[in-house]
Amino acid sequence: MAICRSKASMIGTKFHADLVMAAKLALVVLLAVTNLTARAAGNALSELDKQCLSCHSAKELAKKLANGETLTLHVPAQEFAQSVHNMIGCAGCHADVTLNDHPPGKTKAAGTREYTLALTEVCRSCHADKFKLYEGSIHAALLRDGNPIAPVCTDCHRPHAVRAKAARESIADVPCRNCHGSIYDAYAESVHGKARSKPGNTSAPICADCHRAHDVSAAGAGDHVKDACLACHQGALASHQTWLPNAARHFEAVSCPACHAPAAKRKVDLRLYDSVAQQRVAEKAGVPQFESRARSADAKGAGLDAMALQSLLREFNRDGIDNRTTLRGRLEVSTGAEAHQLAAAPQAIQDCTKCHRQGADPFQSVTVSIVGPDGRPLRYGAQQEVLNSMISVDSVGGFYAIGGTRIKLLDMLFALALLSGIAVPAGHLTLNWLFRRYAKKIREQDAATRSTGAEAPK
Amino acid sequence: MPSIYVHPLPVRIWHWINAFGFVAMIATGVQIRYVGLIDLMSFKTAVVLHNWIGFVLIGNFFIWFLFYLFSDKIKVYHPELSPAKHFRASFRQLKYYGYGIFKGEPNPHHISVYQKFNAMQSMTYQVIMLLLVPLQFYTGVLLWDVKRFSGMIDVLGGVRVVDTIHVLIFIFFTGFIFIHPYLASLGHTRTAHFKAMFTGYEEVEDETSRSPFQ
Repeated sequence: MAICRSKASMIGTKFHADLVMAAKLALVVLLAVTNLTARAAGNALSELDKQCLSCHSAKELAKKLANGETLTLHVPAQEFAQSVHNMIGCAGCHADVTLNDHPPGKTKAAGTREYTLALTEVCRSCHADKFKLYEGSIHAALLRDGNPIAPVCTDCHRPHAVRAKAARESIADVPCRNCHGSIYDAYAESVHGKARSKPGNTSAPICADCHRAHDVSAAGAGDHVKDACLACHQGALASHQTWLPNAARHFEAVSCPACHAPAAKRKVDLRLYDSVAQQRVAEKAGVPQFESRARSADAKGAGLDAMALQSLLREFNRDGIDNRTTLRGRLEVSTGAEAHQLAAAPQAIQDCTKCHRQGADPFQSVTVSIVGPDGRPLRYGAQQEVLNSMISVDSVGGFYAIGGTRIKLLDMLFALALLSGIAVPAGHLTLNWLFRRYAKKIREQDAATRSTGAEAPK
Repeated sequence: MPSIYVHPLPVRIWHWINAFGFVAMIATGVQIRYVGLIDLMSFKTAVVLHNWIGFVLIGNFFIWFLFYLFSDKIKVYHPELSPAKHFRASFRQLKYYGYGIFKGEPNPHHISVYQKFNAMQSMTYQVIMLLLVPLQFYTGVLLWDVKRFSGMIDVLGGVRVVDTIHVLIFIFFTGFIFIHPYLASLGHTRTAHFKAMFTGYEEVEDETSRSPFQ
């Protein structure tokens, strides 16, 4: 009975919330229609908005929040008039503000972050499609994890000055640089950044063209960034096939910047791969296993060696199908900033021996990785020897670069075969030379026996 | 000295293409694997040559294979079904190469049209021609286009496993390419077997024929 009552109460509460939301939406639509009517043309502000801006256009307008932070209440009137949000007017987003209680006597928000998070819900009411994409992004995952600087809508879009995407002219305007400054700097100096900064050039890619704007996912987790490269450079595989042996394999195992950012430091990432599900192994949310298993395998703490790597793989295969979890290697650049140092095609590495020789730079740094719960790769260091050890033939079966990761034991066998090939004939000839007098004696005895035998019948 | 026709033309053509091809494959293979230690040619040239010569050798293999498949000469590859007999003959041959040859003893194996291989050769060539060479071609083709054959490569355990098989057989052939011509020089004269592989005719040793060392 109590449960029934509780359910009824919940249903009632939900109904009430829906009703309030519907009322808000109706108000937004009503205000938008009113504002649209008020603005016959151009960027004119409605009378209502002018009233708001009569106070809020003052730069010094701000208030103290509960946690002591200062929330600026300034709205640049001119920018707002030119923004796409002018269409819905102030009340479109700030529907909770009424003239009866404005300015409110008591501050509701605890801090600027809380205020921003609360207003994010308002964005969702109009931009539900974009919001859904955002919720699947690495940014939203960070927010759910409680990251205090995980970006929400207004961190990237200035709500009072938001312009149509096509109106953005300068690459310096991209909001991504606020958090990813070093990456932006690398991009700005890259072939893409330089092309984009030329006046009128909007075809060269900017951040969102490769990483997507709202459903941003970790660059190192999937193939979407490579797919973005190939979406513009559609003839890339065909043009590589004209000079690069095994071009398709290179496309699979080598990231684009590994060759096209020639100044970058390169490394090998051995990714745990589910051969049945045909995708990278991902850490289950709330059940962290990768790091503890890697630490347990790496008893010395010096990075996983060949035996430890095998042991780690066994752990991941323990409860399931044999050899379900394998390792797939990928050659990539060391940092996100380096991944953006893309040079013009003629400067890209075309010298095969940069990788295909013993001691080549890319094979000196190795990590093992899994996809973390937020979509970002979780990495654990491995020793360089895992790429050259006979023990790793099975565990690192999915990655091999001729010359660069060759197995030392096979080199020894090759030297042995070469030496044997020379030593056996040389030894045989030497033995013959040593036996020459003995053989001569036997030959003479044979000849004597034959001649005796030949004369006997006479 | 009487002679018999033991190396038909298709076999001789196959043999010499194969011989020079394998030398080239080993040279380019060494260059591919040991960039920095050896500088015979550029890495890329070595890869391209290795691929092309590899396909020529695969085609050449079928000259050998089809000839023996449709000829009664295939009997030269018939295995000795009695292990005791086979190993006795092998031991006799080994004893000859390791000891008797220095004393000038005659070769215990007598060549005939359908028995041109001694017991050791017979076993070695069966393994080489029916196992190692096809396996080397197979792994080579997989490595030629790793992406195209990724399904088969995964079944075998990955590209590193396939490459390791390829390299192990390469190591065997590297040793073989030295030993084989040396053993070929141990006919009744140093050049007898080489000449035979050009003319097709092997001179048959008589009772008095001795090792080339005499």
